[in-house]
Amino acid sequence: MFELGVKVAFSLAQITVVFGIVLLTVMFLTLAERKVIGWMQDRMGPMEVGPYGILQPIADGLKLFFKEDIIPAGANKFLFSLAPILALVPALIGFAVIPFGPNQTVELFGIQFKPFVISDVNIGILYILAFTSIGAYGVILGGWASNSKYSLLGGLRSAAQVISYELNVGLAIVGVLLLAGSLSLVTITEAQAGGFWHWYIFAFPFPQIFAFVVYVISAVAETNRVPFDLPEAESELVAGFFTEYSGMRFAFFFIAEYANMILVSCIAAALFLGGWNAPYPGTVIARLGYPDYAWVEQVVWFATKVYVFLFLFFWLRATLPRLRYDQLMRFGWKVMLPIALGNILVTSIAAYLFPR
Amino acid sequence: MKFKAWIKTITFYEILVGMGATIKHLLRYKPITLQYPHEKRTLPDSYRGMLALLRYDDGTEKCVGCDLCEAACPSRVIRVISSEVPGEPTKRHAKEYYMDMTRCLFCGLCVDACPVDALGMTREYEWAVYDKRQLLLNKQQLLAIGDRSFPVREKRLELQHPNVAFFNVAFSYMPPKEK
Repeated sequence: MFELGVKVAFSLAQITVVFGIVLLTVMFLTLAERKVIGWMQDRMGPMEVGPYGILQPIADGLKLFFKEDIIPAGANKFLFSLAPILALVPALIGFAVIPFGPNQTVELFGIQFKPFVISDVNIGILYILAFTSIGAYGVILGGWASNSKYSLLGGLRSAAQVISYELNVGLAIVGVLLLAGSLSLVTITEAQAGGFWHWYIFAFPFPQIFAFVVYVISAVAETNRVPFDLPEAESELVAGFFTEYSGMRFAFFFIAEYANMILVSCIAAALFLGGWNAPYPGTVIARLGYPDYAWVEQVVWFATKVYVFLFLFFWLRATLPRLRYDQLMRFGWKVMLPIALGNILVTSIAAYLFPR
Repeated sequence: MKFKAWIKTITFYEILVGMGATIKHLLRYKPITLQYPHEKRTLPDSYRGMLALLRYDDGTEKCVGCDLCEAACPSRVIRVISSEVPGEPTKRHAKEYYMDMTRCLFCGLCVDACPVDALGMTREYEWAVYDKRQLLLNKQQLLAIGDRSFPVREKRLELQHPNVAFFNVAFSYMPPKEK
């Protein structure tokens, strides 16, 4: 009984910490995005709240929290309230299987714990793909329940887009899964240890660079970001599926979008960029004679990879215009899908010829 | 040539060039933004801002109530009610003078039309109000704007006999019209 209690308490502590870090990162991202895009476009970004506008996310949060919560006339109240939760929960729940640091164990009260991995599910990547698909329901139901033509069109576009590009994400990942021989993110990351030439983007039998490109493009499309932000195209659909949302419900959609961005970046880092592994064999701290503190360096490397990937999202947004809808669909089905399928074919042949 | 274009397509060459342009602006960050309420632009000399009624240096109003500004105004901002100056039957002035600044488009035609240069355009532009009715200005308000924006006043002309109306001072150097 005591064992169970300690385990539950430790898991809850882990979940709270990860949850807090993710939400803090979302806050930071809202500011960083506006600042980075501003700098890239010769503007300053937010400058009013606090020195250089660094308190802007807090002001935004307060504003959204105290705003009036409007449910439009004719809206389906139940689905209208359910949709933001359906969008937010899958975005946050995916972090349960992400390995943020090395898979080492810590002994506390005689029980073994893994501090950087909440749960090492052996079907981790499948679990994430399944839950991010549920997120699409939040968007579609939110668009339908708002009783507004803009919301409905945004929701429909989102449905078509997410289904098309989920497929490409799944197929791009298959190459890595073939090489690693596992669906667990921890096992996949551990297989990439020992220098950047072991990362799956460059790894021996067949480098997954094409799969990585397909994954990056599809990930941008799946999180509804520029240049694939058709579900919320401002110039055509006001704000797309959350046109009618205000206050905290709007904030839920907003947090869900940014949490999805972080989740997608974490998956990219874990699957293609070696996760917590440094680009050189071993760690500097372990070489210096403190192997107990090597996790600091590894967590820093994981965070660096995630943030570089997030910066890519901002960079794309500052540069590219929006695609037309038929271009989006043609690109997804006629370009990305064949590349992903060809990658699977070549990778499986390579994995068969050079078994691990 | 076709092969070259194909290579450019599959390597996302155009997108990479665009991303290079944005990252260059990020690295050589030089904002063109002006932090408006804290720092303001230097206005050009010919800036056409808020309208104002002017006075002569002895404090009398320049306006003679001729209605030409009202006629010149394309958006019917101005409303002049002209009358004789009380006690001086040969002189006229604007008894009431209204400007509906919600409609004004700051073209400056009224200033051009005025024969005695009684109207001026100031360099004020921060005229946002919470109530639209505050932009319906009367003569006292317009004179007050002129007082605070034009501290140096034109001298009342010596030539001007108190009983003679004197128009178009600016063109006095031109030869008189032949009859």
